[in-house]
Amino acid sequence: MSDQGIKSKPTYGKIAGDKAARYQLLLVEGAEIPAEVLAEGVDPSAFETWTVAHASALPAAPMMDEAPGTVRPFRSASHMFSALEERLDRETMGLRFYAVGAEPFLWDAFNIASAAGLSQQEMQFAHVGPKARRIYCVHCRTLMDGVTTSIVTCTGCGAPLFVRDHFSKRLASYMGVQVDAEAPGEVPAAEELYK
Amino acid sequence: MTVQFKPAETFRDMFNFKKSPEDILRFPFPFPEDEYMYSVNIEPHVKGGPTAAFQAAFDIDEHYIAECRERERVLKEDPKRCQVLPHMATAEWDTLELIMESLASDYPEHFSLSKAGDVWTWVNRPLGIHQTFTFGKAETLPYGPFEYITRQVQGDFTLQDQRDDMLYVDGGMVTTQADWSFEFNIGMSFMEWHGPVPVAHEAGVFERALKYLMRLQYGQPVRRLNWTMTINPRLDTSPENYPVWGPDRTTVTPENVGDKVHLRVELQTLFRLPRSNAILFGIRCYLAPLNDLVKVPKWRRRLHRVLRGLRPELAEYKGMTRYRQTAVDYLAALDDGAPTSKGIAPEIDKLEG
Amino acid sequence: MNAGTLSVRVREITELAPTLKRFSFEPAHGGEFPTAPAGGHVMLTLRDGDKVMKNAYSLVSAPGQRARYEIIVRKVSQSRGGSAFLHSKVAPGDVLDMAMPGSLFSLASTAKKHLLIGGGIGITPMLSFLAELKSRGGRCEMHQLSSLDEAPVFERLLAPFSDDAEIAIHTGGRAAFDLAGLLARQPLGTHVYVCGPHSLMDAVVSTAAALGWPKGKVHKESFGAAAGGLPFKAILKRSGIEVEVKENETLLEAIEAAGVAASCLCRGGACGECATAVVDGELDHRDDFLSDEEKAAGKLVMLCVSRARGPRLVLDL
Repeated sequence: MSDQGIKSKPTYGKIAGDKAARYQLLLVEGAEIPAEVLAEGVDPSAFETWTVAHASALPAAPMMDEAPGTVRPFRSASHMFSALEERLDRETMGLRFYAVGAEPFLWDAFNIASAAGLSQQEMQFAHVGPKARRIYCVHCRTLMDGVTTSIVTCTGCGAPLFVRDHFSKRLASYMGVQVDAEAPGEVPAAEELYK
Repeated sequence: MTVQFKPAETFRDMFNFKKSPEDILRFPFPFPEDEYMYSVNIEPHVKGGPTAAFQAAFDIDEHYIAECRERERVLKEDPKRCQVLPHMATAEWDTLELIMESLASDYPEHFSLSKAGDVWTWVNRPLGIHQTFTFGKAETLPYGPFEYITRQVQGDFTLQDQRDDMLYVDGGMVTTQADWSFEFNIGMSFMEWHGPVPVAHEAGVFERALKYLMRLQYGQPVRRLNWTMTINPRLDTSPENYPVWGPDRTTVTPENVGDKVHLRVELQTLFRLPRSNAILFGIRCYLAPLNDLVKVPKWRRRLHRVLRGLRPELAEYKGMTRYRQTAVDYLAALDDGAPTSKGIAPEIDKLEG
Repeated sequence: MNAGTLSVRVREITELAPTLKRFSFEPAHGGEFPTAPAGGHVMLTLRDGDKVMKNAYSLVSAPGQRARYEIIVRKVSQSRGGSAFLHSKVAPGDVLDMAMPGSLFSLASTAKKHLLIGGGIGITPMLSFLAELKSRGGRCEMHQLSSLDEAPVFERLLAPFSDDAEIAIHTGGRAAFDLAGLLARQPLGTHVYVCGPHSLMDAVVSTAAALGWPKGKVHKESFGAAAGGLPFKAILKRSGIEVEVKENETLLEAIEAAGVAASCLCRGGACGECATAVVDGELDHRDDFLSDEEKAAGKLVMLCVSRARGPRLVLDL
């Protein structure tokens, strides 16, 4: 049950850095870089790092040095992403882009970076934090964050959804499919699987 | 022989769908042997082949008008069944050119294309379309070029971009699909969109197929057959509408199995496109109820043996668990145990009964 | 639907420079050519008496230009003979065999910007790219390296694109061409394409890698590994016949030509249908079907793509 054998389910490694990079930018969904996400021998002072403080009292981010070793805090992930587009727009070839956080954060970051012209060969992702899933209801297109169970009721259309391991990077979501579509009412008990 | 179109057919509600004897004999029966297993069953897409369905680059049959109308209905309900990511604009024109030129050359009685420089005139007689437009100028067509032309062909289409040693499904017209969601899958890599398929990954089928397709050459299209089963002649078996068609699977009885259970075959074709280097993937869907297929002695024997021996995980993936035994029992009574010859050709010119 | 060979008539030959000629072809039997792939190439079969040469040339005409296919050929002193033959013996009106155009060098659809670098005659696929990008409206920068005396020739060839692309011709030699500076200042999402002498292509590949360009955004022209190889003899033990496999045909084609029906499907080394037991002989495996262990064991060969490594191969067929 916990492994449905579906190959679109992303797998994650550690941030290994890239010696060939001209410049490296690391995004962290949290205030600090968790030590366990870095591959052996990787020194984070080689990266310019952006972090999320989850605090509103930060001063509006001042213009800061864009240089390896600097750490720039943002109020929230959304705050960070709004600055990211502008930043990538000014970047030149040779950039490496890394992100560390929960799954929806990673693939939201991936989509912004892809739109800016980065390919998967120029990105690395490490998954930390909760395993809760973002679910896309395939019947009504509602997105639900923070799903931890094998079955969830769609907040849009009310269908009891089975949470598949089929993952769309574009939607940063797993697919939810009505579990009792063939025989309405036959809904298995939900299991707590993604915490 | 001129095909007799049946514009009044429907693929939902009352299911007004009936195959002529010729249409049954041209069915691309998908089993060359008495047992089925995933393989890289790809071959050059050349004219000819075991049934009349292989005579054209894009096959048109008696259901053409009705299927185009069904597509129109699906798109009205759900416009996102047709989407093309912005970087595939060149592949859209490649597709329009390939399909228009192929149809005009394979079916001159139904389609014609004339060109005065970049100004093209397209005539589609069965659908009553007469369109003059400028090639390369999307604003001169009522839809984007990919949507415009794929509204006028049977079967689904996807556009694959090739980059970083991988194929990505970055566009498509998907209204007659066998339970996969285009809106969910658009943008996925070849490996990701085949992620849910069981067994084949372990057999290395997708890795080999991917390497082969990345080498696909312009002017040398290839094809393969894929299959599943569908209850009722329903074209739109999308996951989106699973709550609508899913209950059909519980309605199969020994009395109605021959009418209700349909073999659903996809004649899949792959074309390398010139300007964009993208790959156009055609997924042409054919439906036939068991009652029609059993009129061909070889097919009824073989279908029985394939379904009887199908691995349970494949039957589960194809959604057949609820009615498989009923179908096998129905076919068992019609299988005389005689040996069958290799290949898919019906080996008769006229149907029994 | 199938590829096959095009029969082409030489319509016009234009001398661009002492060693550069442009050949313009039209379909020998009327009609139009297939739309050419952007950056595509064609293989010409050239018959000089008993000698048959097959040479690949990039198409320089725009993909949508279907009345004519055009190539530019440099006469090289130590050429295998095909280019010299074209320069000296082919005349307007001659009819030649041309394989359907192939595409192994193509524009990246996701590129934010295309950076083209041509060295000498390596300008040829870039002309096709420039024409395609002009019709797409794609952002583009072109750098052509040239000798001083040929610069006006390249300038004329590039002139039709000067409104749509930044174009520079460099005549100061490689040392004066600031490749690293050029690559370092490119915006995110740029793809670079290079065609020219191997030293130039290698320099672009290694300089780009050193500046952190990912492999997938660096493209160099290649006509692909030749499908053929050295000729060899295949002995079909069960059929009791010997087949000569020529350098430009596959083992499968040679066996079929000898009238032996070998089971096959994809003809591209993927499906496994043509796997055949090997009795004797060393193998050059080129398929994706056999595992590394099976390849090392040498007991099976895929007829459609693989060849003998030595002079003979004995098959259980």
